[in-house]
Amino acid sequence: MTEILAESVVKSFGRLSALIDVDVAVPSGALFGLVGADGAGKTTLMRCIAGLYTPDSGRVLPGREGQDRLGFAQQGFHLYGDLTVDENIEFFGRLYGLDHSRLAARRAELLGFAGLEGSGSRLAGQLSGGMKQKLTLVCSLLHEPPILLLDEPTTGVDPVSRREFWDLVEHLHARGSTILLASAYFDEVERCDEVVYLHHGRVLATGPPETLRGEHASLEEAFLAVTS
Amino acid sequence: MRLRRSVAVAAEPSEDVPTRGSKAFRRLKALIRKEFLQLRRDPRTLALMVFSPVMLMLVFGYAASFDVKHIRAELVGTQSQALRSALEKNDAFDVAGQVADDEAAAEDDIQHGRVVVAIEVDPRGVPTQVLVDGSRLMEALTVERSLIALQAEASGGAQIPVRMLYNPLLRSADFMIPGLIGQIMVQVGVVFTALGIVRERERGTMEQLLITPLGRLELMVGKVLPYLAIAFLDLVVVVAVARFLFHVTIAGSLLLLLAGSAVFLASTLGIGLMISTVAQNQQQALQMSVFIQLPQILLSGWIFPLAAIPWAIRWISYLLPLTYYLPIARGIFLKGSGLQDLWPNLVVLAVMAVVYLSIATLRFRRSLD
Repeated sequence: MTEILAESVVKSFGRLSALIDVDVAVPSGALFGLVGADGAGKTTLMRCIAGLYTPDSGRVLPGREGQDRLGFAQQGFHLYGDLTVDENIEFFGRLYGLDHSRLAARRAELLGFAGLEGSGSRLAGQLSGGMKQKLTLVCSLLHEPPILLLDEPTTGVDPVSRREFWDLVEHLHARGSTILLASAYFDEVERCDEVVYLHHGRVLATGPPETLRGEHASLEEAFLAVTS
Repeated sequence: MRLRRSVAVAAEPSEDVPTRGSKAFRRLKALIRKEFLQLRRDPRTLALMVFSPVMLMLVFGYAASFDVKHIRAELVGTQSQALRSALEKNDAFDVAGQVADDEAAAEDDIQHGRVVVAIEVDPRGVPTQVLVDGSRLMEALTVERSLIALQAEASGGAQIPVRMLYNPLLRSADFMIPGLIGQIMVQVGVVFTALGIVRERERGTMEQLLITPLGRLELMVGKVLPYLAIAFLDLVVVVAVARFLFHVTIAGSLLLLLAGSAVFLASTLGIGLMISTVAQNQQQALQMSVFIQLPQILLSGWIFPLAAIPWAIRWISYLLPLTYYLPIARGIFLKGSGLQDLWPNLVVLAVMAVVYLSIATLRFRRSLD
């Protein structure tokens, strides 16, 4: 069953064509990597799939109607820097309808999962880049969504935090989450079940990393060969 | 990487399913709580919102004087063409054609705002007493000055007794403070509401909110209610300072003042929300707010009487909520006006509130498109 879908999606901003006839289908429980250079259309595609943008044409899943089944960690830090870790978790938990006891249980569970125990009283704006990304992931997991969209979660994060974050992603994948992760790092998406090359708003290729890599030394070289 | 424990990723059905209304209420409560938490962390903004009313009060508590023309006047008791001509000579007064029967009828005309000044005339055509609406400070001061000049011509140098109604000492504070309450609510309703929402957009947190089940209306209400509460707190502070520091008495109903203020505040919040739907960042929101606020200071009748503003500009006054709130605040504070006098202004404010809030709601886009 396809959990995440973009079918013939077209999206423009004025004269700029951000997405041109894009097709992506992520089956239930799969981890897909969406890779491309800056400006390729990764964030636009993610936002269309999440229902934040309405495509000019085409179809998306889960979209706005399926937002309750979706956790979306957007690119950059979009939580409240002037609230503490606990306050951010409580706020978003309440928005997702978690009652007091459920919220307390999820907070303990997810802070432990992300290695953020002991940081509950710190202001979110004062966390390191890696910790901010983990907190963003925690807040997007509060309502136990089966689908996760992660938009460049490790951009600007140090290598150790990147590896820790990927351990979390792989753990979620192992537990059955359907995940679409956008990244500008080709070495990262090697870990995905399938990789989608996005370039200038078009899908150039989709397939398992080893298939896309072919005879090239890396996914990045294969991508450059395709785009050139 | 330590994975201390496994984590649930897929939701299981809950036995205790909250209703749609209670879920919305919880979300709203969470949003309001979050707003107050953020305000607590931002003491400068909080101080600006809570203490700036007092500062404004101290700064604007004393009024300047301005000349006013075309003050509505009437003669009482006897028609006197000579007096009428003298009054209308320098355009200071527009004298009504009809003559009021007696002092009681004249006071009634002043109470209901039909005239600002009533001049009692004896059968010989000599002025015997002048009644002035002291709640309209600028006009009253002009009346006083004009009467000095008039005395020599119309009464043969005899002193004309003047009874200043509603603000007998013509105190600036009594005149300025009711209007200041309106200014403060404009500040909170327009500036802080617009900034509060645009800040979410500028910091990117709006995008995170839009991915949650929080509805468009819930988001609007949740953002507006804290500012509504603060505006009412400001109202109480200002009224208390007016009463105990400036010794301004409230002649009318405090309840009616609160009700009128609530309707007025709804219209200013509507303007604030409309700005938030147009401005892309806090700087733009602030500039637009100032653009809205400045005419409310200059053109609403707070400082310059509407009668002193040329018609080429005065039409703008009638688009501003404060123009309609000022007579309510001054009427209740100084004249003890009731609903029977103030309802037309309340109706206009209510219509403005509905129109502005409706436009803001329609413009408040659910998505980022």
